[in-house]
Parts: sequence; C-alpha cells; structure tokens
Amino acid sequence: MHIQELILRLQRFWADRGCLIGQPYDLEKGAGTMNPLTFFGALGPRPWNVAYVEPSRRPADGRYGENPFRLYKHLQMQVILKPSPAKVQDLYIESLEAMGVDLRKHDLRFEEDNWEAPTLGAWGVGWQVMLDGMEITQFTYFQQVAGMDCRPVSAEITYGIERICMFLTGIDNIFDLVWGEVRTDDGLFPVSYGTVRQREEYELSAYSFEHADLDLHWKMFEAFEREAWKLVKEQGHYLSGYEQALKMSHTFNVLDARGAVSTTERPGIIKRVRDLACACARVHVEREQAMLAAGRGEEVQA
Amino acid sequence: MSETRSLLLEIHCEEIPARFLAPLSEEFAQGFCAFARESLQAEPEVERFYSPRKLAWRVAGLPMAQADQTETQVGPPRRLCLDDQGAPTQTGLKFAEKWGVAFDQVSFAQPAGKKEPAAVLTLTRRGRPTAELLAEALPRLVASLHVPKAMRWGSSEFQFVRPIRNVLCLFGNQVVPFQLDGVAAGASTWGHRLHHLDRPAPVAVTRPADYEADLEAAGIVVSCAERRRRLEAQLHDFAGKAGGRVVQDAHLLDTLAEIVEFPRIVVGQFPESFLNLPKEVLVTSLAEHQKAFCVEDADGALLPVFLTAANRPDDPDGFIKSGNEWVLRARLYDARFFFEEDRKQPLLERKEKLKHLTFQRELGSYFDKGERIAALAAALAPGLGLDPGAARGAAEACKCDLVTLMVGEFPELQGIMGGEYLRRERVPEAVWRAVKEHYQPVSAEAPIPASALGGLLALADKLDTVAGCFAIGQIPSGSKDPLALRRAGQGIVRILFERGWNLDPMAIAAQALAGVGAKATQPAAETRTALEAFFRDRVAYQLEQAGYPGAVRRSALAAGWTDLVDLKARCQALGRFAEDPRFQSLAQSAKRIGNILKDETPGKELVAGLLQVPEEQALVGHLARLEADADQAALLRDLAELAEPLEAFFNAVLVKCEDPALRGARLALLGRLQSAFLRVADFSQWQ
Repeated sequence: MHIQELILRLQRFWADRGCLIGQPYDLEKGAGTMNPLTFFGALGPRPWNVAYVEPSRRPADGRYGENPFRLYKHLQMQVILKPSPAKVQDLYIESLEAMGVDLRKHDLRFEEDNWEAPTLGAWGVGWQVMLDGMEITQFTYFQQVAGMDCRPVSAEITYGIERICMFLTGIDNIFDLVWGEVRTDDGLFPVSYGTVRQREEYELSAYSFEHADLDLHWKMFEAFEREAWKLVKEQGHYLSGYEQALKMSHTFNVLDARGAVSTTERPGIIKRVRDLACACARVHVEREQAMLAAGRGEEVQA
Repeated sequence: MSETRSLLLEIHCEEIPARFLAPLSEEFAQGFCAFARESLQAEPEVERFYSPRKLAWRVAGLPMAQADQTETQVGPPRRLCLDDQGAPTQTGLKFAEKWGVAFDQVSFAQPAGKKEPAAVLTLTRRGRPTAELLAEALPRLVASLHVPKAMRWGSSEFQFVRPIRNVLCLFGNQVVPFQLDGVAAGASTWGHRLHHLDRPAPVAVTRPADYEADLEAAGIVVSCAERRRRLEAQLHDFAGKAGGRVVQDAHLLDTLAEIVEFPRIVVGQFPESFLNLPKEVLVTSLAEHQKAFCVEDADGALLPVFLTAANRPDDPDGFIKSGNEWVLRARLYDARFFFEEDRKQPLLERKEKLKHLTFQRELGSYFDKGERIAALAAALAPGLGLDPGAARGAAEACKCDLVTLMVGEFPELQGIMGGEYLRRERVPEAVWRAVKEHYQPVSAEAPIPASALGGLLALADKLDTVAGCFAIGQIPSGSKDPLALRRAGQGIVRILFERGWNLDPMAIAAQALAGVGAKATQPAAETRTALEAFFRDRVAYQLEQAGYPGAVRRSALAAGWTDLVDLKARCQALGRFAEDPRFQSLAQSAKRIGNILKDETPGKELVAGLLQVPEEQALVGHLARLEADADQAALLRDLAELAEPLEAFFNAVLVKCEDPALRGARLALLGRLQSAFLRVADFSQWQ
C-alpha cells in the first residue's frame, strides 16, 4: 500500500458515502480540526459531510527526520459527519475494509479517548481506535466548538495516514514508505516518503528547535493578535480573522517547542488564541442565523 | 408463593469507557432495588453483567403484579345521601360515581371520630401488572443514572455515556414495551463484531436465563468477573511457558477484563536490547502504552516477553501478535530516546529549569520548594544521626527529574527516574536511593522509604507541602482534599512511627512553616491550630491502622500525642490491659477524680499525719510505688493493682469533707494520683 493509494481509497470511500471532498487549508496548523471546513462546519444546524487530508504540524514532535516513528509534520485524513449517523461505527469499519484490512484476521477495539482543543474552545468524547494494539484513528463526537454546544452533534474521524500505511505494509520506518510510483518513458520509479519529505523534516525540526528567532515569534504572536481583532471587531470578518488566529496558534507551538513558554504563562497564551477563535465562530453563527431568519433557509437547512 | 418471573435488561451501546462500567452497573442495580422495594414489595437479587458495549442486569423472582390493596373511602353523611324514602340523593349518586361503582355498593356506618353515620365504600385496588410498572420505571431509572461525562449524539437531546444502539428487555419471555431515545426494547441483541461479519441478523434471546449462553454463542463473555478469571488463568499459564512469572498489576488486569468482549491473552516478544532500560521504565511503558504485562524470572529480572489481551478468541494469521510487537517496539524506541536524551545532561543541571515549574502559585516554583526542602532536611539530619551535607545534596536534586523527558511522558516515574539517573552518574548510593524513595509511601498500603536518608527526604518534602499549603489556607475539609494533604500527612506520621524517630510533629511542622516564611497568607496562630488538629487526626488514624482498641487509642492520645515514640510505647503497654476488667474500674475512678478536681487546685504536699483512714493510707503507699515506677510497663502493672484500693477509698472516704485541712490533703492525694495516671493515659477516656 502506497501513501497516495491509501489517500485515494479513503477519499473515494467517503465521497461514495455522501461526503464533500475538501482540500487542506493553506496555513500551518496542528490538526485537521483547525481547517475552517471543520471548525465552522461543525457549528450550526446545516447538514455537513466533508472529508479531506490535512498536513498537521507539531513542532515539539520534530525529530530531524531521524526517528523512524515521529514527524514534525504528518498527514491526517479528516472526516466530519453532521449529524452523526446512527451507523457511524459500521461506516468506519467499512472504510477499514476499503483500505484492505480484513477484520476476520485482526483485533479491533474502541478505547476511551476524549478530545479537547483548548485553543479552539472545543471538546468531545470518543475513542482511539486500536487495530492489533496500534492506534490508527481518533473518533470523536463533538460536544462543543468555540465554547458553543454542537447541535446537531458531528462525528469526527481522523486517520493517521503514515501510521496506517506503516501498519498495512509492515515497514517500520516512516521514511521507507512508498509515496507512489512515477512512470516515465524509461520505466516505473517508486518514490519513498523519505525522498519527498525527509529533508523537510530535518530543516523544520532544526528551525523550531534551534533557528527560530524567539523575539520575532513573540512579536509576530502579538501582531497577528492585533490584526485579528481589528478584522473581527471593525469589519466583522471572521474568516480572515480566523486565519490570524491559526497563525497565532502555530507561532505559539514554535515557542512552546523551544521551551519558551513557562507553565504559568501557558494557560494565558492559549486563552488569547481561544478568545479570538471563539469571537470568529460567534460572528459565523450569527451570520448563519441571520440567513435562516431572512428566509434563505434552503441555503442553511437542506 | 405466587408465580414469579425474571427480568432481563440489556442496554447495548457503542463502546462505553471502561472506567464507567462498574459504577453505572452498580448504580442502576441500586436504583432497581429501590423501585422493587417500593412498588413490588420485593427484595430481589440483581445480577450484573457488563462488557465494552453492554450494560445488563438480570433479576429473578419478581411477582407478576403488585399485591391488591383494599382501602376505605368515607363520603358525605347518610342524611345527605338518602332522601326520606331511603332513595339515593344527587349527592349520594355523585359519591358512588366518583369512585366508579353502583350506588348499591355504598354502605353506611359511623366512622371513628364522626358524629353521625356516613357513606362508606370499601374499594379493592387491583395491583398493577409488573410488566406495566417496568415499562414506566426502566426508562426513568436509565435516564436518572449519574453519568460523569455524558454526551449527546446525532440530532437528539438525549444524554448518556455513549450512543444507545439497541435495547433488549424481557420479563419472562415477554418484551417489556418502552423506548430509550427512540430505540424500542426488543427480544434480540448484537453479538461480537466478528460474529456479525458474516451474519447480519441480530441474536435472539428468548429467556432471561439463557442470556450468557446466547451471547457466548455469539462471541461475547458478558460477565466481567468471568472474563477476568479467564484472563488471569491465561496470564499465569503463558508466563510459565515463557519461563517466568507475571509482574502483578491488579488494576491492569481489571482494565483488560473491562475492555474486551472475549478474553484472550496474546504473547509477544520485544528485542532484548531494551532490557538495559530501568525495569520501572519498561513495566510502566508496557502497562501505560500497550496495556501489557511484563514477565520476570525468579530473581525479578525481566524477560523480553509481554502479555496483553485481544478482543477475540484467536490470532489466525499472527497479525495480532506481530501488530502488538510492532507498536511496542516503537514505544520502547521512544522510551530509549527519552532515557538517552535525559542522560546527556547531569540531573542537577536542570535545577534552573525548575524555576519555571510552578509548585503552588503562592508558594512558588519547584526550585523554591527544593531550596526549602534542602534547608529543612539539613536542619533535621543531625538529630537523626544523618549527614546534613548528604541530606542537602539529595534534596537539591530530588525535584530535577520533573523536567526530564521521561517523567514528562510517565509522571508516575517521578523520583524513580531521578534516582536512576543519579545512580548512573555515580553519586553516593545513599543520595540516589533517597531521591528514588522520596515520594514514598505512595499509598496507605505501600512501604515507607527503606533508607534512612530517603525517610528524611520524604519527611522534609511532605512537611513542606503540608505546612506550606496550610499557611496559604489550603486546608483539607470534609471530602475535599485536592492536594492530597491527608496522604502526605499520613506519610509523615508513618515515617516517624515506623522509623521510631523521636521528632515532635508540631515542632518540625513549625520548622517547615518558618521555611515558608513570608509566603504565608494566613495568620501564623491559625495555621498552627489547624496543623495541630490535622496531625492529631493523622496520629489517631495511624493508631487505628495499627490495630489498637478504641479505649487504648483515646486514653493514650488524650494524655499527649506529640512524642510519638512515647505514645507508641504507651499504646503497646496499654494494649495488654485492653481486656482487663480492673481497667474498667480504674476508668470509673479516674473519671470521678477528674470531676472532683475540676474546679480545684490541689496542693502538691501530702501533709503527714492527716490521712489516717486505712483506705487512704493504702493509697498513699500505692502512690509512692507509682511515682517511683521508671517504665510504662511497671506503671501499668501497678495501676492495675490500684483499681481495687481506689474503689475501696471512694467507698470509705468523703473527699470534700468539712475539715478544710483534711479536705486539702485528700485533694492533694488525688491530684498526685491523676498526674501519675496521665504519664501513661487519660483513663477518663477509656470507655
């Protein structure tokens, strides 16, 4: 199983079950949940099924491309189903079969793992899905996003692409995975994950652990914050405002990876990002409600 | 006995968190018993079953219906119900109509307390069918369960622990008709996912008694106790085959039994090269990350083998074994990374980083705490015959592992990692052992530090925590003890008791308080009073744990508790007299002495010649012996012998007599007897 084949199969599977296929959002972020397709999509009454791949950055997890199991940036396949279907677990299990997992031969368990994203004011309950003892998926029923109750509740399914690929192939070094095959006039050339990404892992790790200018990052954090409030408060622009919040979040993660944020400061910094994300979400929800009230309900309520 | 039926209820959910299964199961059972008592006058036994997707209960011996009840209704006076001709009036007819009967069923009698005869109706209220009552009660009982982390799903407002997907409910062989969040109760359920891969139809259950067998045929062992039993037997078996024994972990075994529907132990191997990691790291990493047991040989050395549970009966292609091995390798690789990274820097060099790690907002960082512990430990060391330099050194290093990668990953390895890193840095053994042991005792049953320096360090750390938190007003009350100060206090008392260290808890707490200094927010006198009550309770609890009878504990404590070595000796001595009837009499007399002396200030001198009554003279003789007794054992022996003469004294003598001189002499005698008693116990507390 190649990385790209796995992604294609999952996208096909979820498209066939009534999901929009979204695209990664072109800003740094820690998880697929932060993509506006999920963050805003999970709020309000609008039915919303969407699936997409999201490259997710965790600066503290960077290992210079030397650790066979850990990455600064990994790929998440994110699925949102709103409202959560009654047979959502069965659907998920079918998706495993679509990836080539024959459950007659494996051990599948759903173990409690509740999810919380303090920078987004979001939490949910759910499981980590364990296949033969390995966590392959996070499965969450969103209860709140941006401090607001989710009505209806969305189910979020997040597949760890590299991990699943390693598991399916039995290759125990991420960088030895095959991304895909390049066909030229001279023949077929398999390209490894390492060829595509290893140098990037090295440089991004080195950047966040050694070279990032901390003063600059603190200044950027403050500047993004000022910019964001200006957009949200003065213009009522929640999407461009939210982009600034995403930048704040990533800047914070870089500072955090360097140990530049003390444990006492931490909650306060996180709150600054959350306040902003929540303000953006409120503008979005008010706008949707106004549209419903103005009789443009068909756009909101299918 | 009338006919009875069994009830079976199963709520089938998406996977319920293991930690909620037992509490929810228990709570519903209790709720059901209350319902059965109240509505059915039954005291049934409730059998409880649960598995990851199921909560189920079976109750045998329920009646088919409530018992019939007769009741008497009193209506208007006869003169209003019947007209002159004896025919029913409008009022009379209305009364019959109100209770749904014909008028000829109404009789007349003079009810107690009434002046004239009135209409009386004896009604038999038919007991309602149990099935009907169940249909009302069961959904109410489920909805009222206390779910700590309740969730909503889909578009519903219903809240439960996880989405409800099926309800099975039989009373005898009949379905009890009710719904839970739109799911109607029925006579079937779902088996193991594996079972249904090729069989899309649900499993029919026709009789409550067949429940376990029906589910086992569908791949589920629904009794958690049974799963635990099978897992334990397999663990033992496989560990033996691997040439060792399981490193016991009862909590892990409970968890495994709760997270599988079918119990099966899987054996895996990991590379031997990981065996050079500390044993605690391997045991913790395997248990935390992979829910796996380690296997050790007869000497306690680990084997490169692990045991974990799978949720199915077999491993047809070996994928489950190889999958678990694969993940475990990745985990151990991480653990080794943490271990090697941590060792690149001497532990003590991390001290500065502790400045950024808050202990308590008002009390500062762990750096500050380390400094306070160091000063306190160094000050206490000489009195215990320990080296203050070593105490200070151990104290300064003891919190440094909090900022290592390993403890960041496994907080429960705090102390243990610090000790392991120091050992590898070749610091003196007493120091690394002290650091390793300083969080002990970690529970009421766990041991105190084995080494003396470890005991001192643990003592200083806990004293600083307790005194510091009291000084900022964080005092445990009732069930609220978020900082686990009672556990810390108990640790202090246990260390003093078990090591036989002659330190007054209040004196050393005062030293710890002095270390906290200006960080205190509460008035010093209040803090001291609160600490005194706190430590007295801890000491009392420790005596109780040590098994001393109530009379011994109360009377010994009341005679002073801050000298713990002395207190322990007194309790031991008193314990031998706990059943001695002479002490009952002595207690009576001691109480009497206490009452007599309550408002008196007796002199000390026994004026010769005044005490002439033989019973008085006998007491004077006893007193001389008591006051000469050097140890508690002798004192108690003489006290026991005092019971009879003392009783005789009170029978023969009126203490508060007219003659002031004689009265003064008798009071002085009693005063000195009381002082002699109090050297060992306050016998007025004996009963």
